[in-house]
Amino acid sequence: MNDDYLWDKSGEPDPQIQELEDILGALRYQPRPLKLDGSLSARWRNYVALLAIAATVAVALLAGSVWLNIRSEEPSIPAVAYVAPAPPIPGLPLSVSTPLVPKRRPLIRVKHDDQEALAAKQQLMFALRIASEKLNTAYRRTQTPSQIKNQHKAG
Amino acid sequence: MATANMLLLNPLANAASEPAKETPIEIELVRSVLEGDRDGFSKLYHLYSPLVHGILLARVPRAEVDDLVQDIFLHAFKKLHTLRDGAAFGPWIAMIARNRAVDFHRRSRETVEITDDLRGSDKQEARAAEILELIRSLPHAYRETLVLRLVEGMTGPEIAVRTGLTAASVRVNLHRGMKLLREKLGFTEGL
Repeated sequence: MNDDYLWDKSGEPDPQIQELEDILGALRYQPRPLKLDGSLSARWRNYVALLAIAATVAVALLAGSVWLNIRSEEPSIPAVAYVAPAPPIPGLPLSVSTPLVPKRRPLIRVKHDDQEALAAKQQLMFALRIASEKLNTAYRRTQTPSQIKNQHKAG
Repeated sequence: MATANMLLLNPLANAASEPAKETPIEIELVRSVLEGDRDGFSKLYHLYSPLVHGILLARVPRAEVDDLVQDIFLHAFKKLHTLRDGAAFGPWIAMIARNRAVDFHRRSRETVEITDDLRGSDKQEARAAEILELIRSLPHAYRETLVLRLVEGMTGPEIAVRTGLTAASVRVNLHRGMKLLREKLGFTEGL
């Protein structure tokens, strides 16, 4: 049998093949525009990931430096001069003489420290939260549409 | 038989027997895309989207084909720098499409395919879906070539150039595939 028509559509048309062409033509490719804009090139994708990492490190460093600054600005504990006890006064009983050591106020001091430390901790946590959000956003941007789609399918 | 089919599908297996045709337009387009010209890729897309569509249609449910075509070209756009010879763009993207179809089946269930494809909007489309199912039941080497010829309307020489197969292989696949399809459809050969 001559299959020229099947091969290159030349020669005498085969009615069976023509019928199949007519029916199956309904499934033929319908041109659609290709959407390249939604995707970043592989090179840019790498840059975004690197930028995300760099931003995270920068924010963490900033937070650390802020925390250290706050710590260093705290007034240092004043040095306490040791005052030697006064020599016993003759004629007075020993138990009466008391050393002239100033009383410290530890409770007030500790409370002040706690407030500053808490504020510093809150600032640090806030900075880390921002860094985490930035990292998540960058990670989402680096996901291709097909990966996201496949994740949906897998889910 | 399976080995023979694999050989017919493998362009390298027949490279020695018949030299591949030169396709300078692909070389130019690939080069321009790598230099940053996106329009060049649009031209490649328009040239090769029927091929990719046909390859997928022979393997995956119709409802999935259009999205997969887009995915495959996006993937090709990102990986184009890995293509050493621009003239081999056709065989390269055809291989991507075949691999993507394999991936699709690895992830999905068979039941989806049957219910999805038999649903046609009208009588002719339903008949087309039935015939497509018959083509899909043929050996791999035949189904792809038949879909490209009967559905996408490509000629044998066009199929050979686009897929990188030799003209002889495509001719044999068309002839044998059509013979099997006629039998399945109950057509009398030589009518």
